[in-house]
Amino acid sequence: MSGIDKTRMERIAHRWNARGSGLITHMALKIEEVSAEGVLVRMPFNPDFCVDRDQTLLHGGILTALLDSVFGLANFVAIEGISTMATLDLRVDYLRAAQSRADVIVRAHCFRQTRHICFDSGSIWFDGREGAEIARGTATFALTRGETGFYDSAITEEGGPA
Amino acid sequence: MNLQAVNANLSGVPFFRFLNFAIRDIGEFHAQAEMTFATRHIGNPVMEHYHGGIIASFMEATAAIAVKPDFADVPAKPINLTVDYLRPGVKGPLLARATVTRKGRRIASVSAMAWQTDRDKPVAEGLYHFLLV
Repeated sequence: MSGIDKTRMERIAHRWNARGSGLITHMALKIEEVSAEGVLVRMPFNPDFCVDRDQTLLHGGILTALLDSVFGLANFVAIEGISTMATLDLRVDYLRAAQSRADVIVRAHCFRQTRHICFDSGSIWFDGREGAEIARGTATFALTRGETGFYDSAITEEGGPA
Repeated sequence: MNLQAVNANLSGVPFFRFLNFAIRDIGEFHAQAEMTFATRHIGNPVMEHYHGGIIASFMEATAAIAVKPDFADVPAKPINLTVDYLRPGVKGPLLARATVTRKGRRIASVSAMAWQTDRDKPVAEGLYHFLLV
């Protein structure tokens, strides 16, 4: 996968960051690294995502949502010409209690793609504690490919890189 | 535990308030819940579909309540999950039913499904494990 240039990745990252409403906006995700090998995304601590009254323990579900979201980004980066994508299935292991008010870091990558399906894996830890993963997940996605992908057409509309 | 007590208990959980759901039916081995659609649940802003992670979270929450509705501090501890996405979740209420397949001393296995207007057309199905100790 040599055809992905830096500008395209930056455009995808910019466009993804700018997505309007919805859960991704609420999670306030920040893309830290983007490459064909994978993506690294930061989610700031948010007390709404906790299960305890003290608001220090994250609900597992938000980690699942985070993986699903970041897999989507990893797919758009790794695969050219995706017009739509749907999660087929998702498996998540909760490896430790997610107890901290630190930012959450996710690394995800698409490790195999075919015409119709792609396969992703990712892991999650608290910032500064990469050795202590709190969750790990894998997912498969059904892809629809078009002449130009969602993000590629957006790049054209925006008139290319500055 | 009656419905009112269960709903009062889960209202103390910040993330459950974020999901915005209520338990509609509860028994020894099942729980059924209804979630109200909100903009913050959206995964696909163009189509206004539910985010897959919200659907998985809602089923997980319902499953945890089926396992332990009278939790004292935090809901039942999740170990892992598998979710199968079958149809898009469109704008509108989402229902979930969780059935405890097996509850041992340490581990519980729970199956869950989510649907909208037609229970025979599920949006997602899931399998969840919980640690009870």
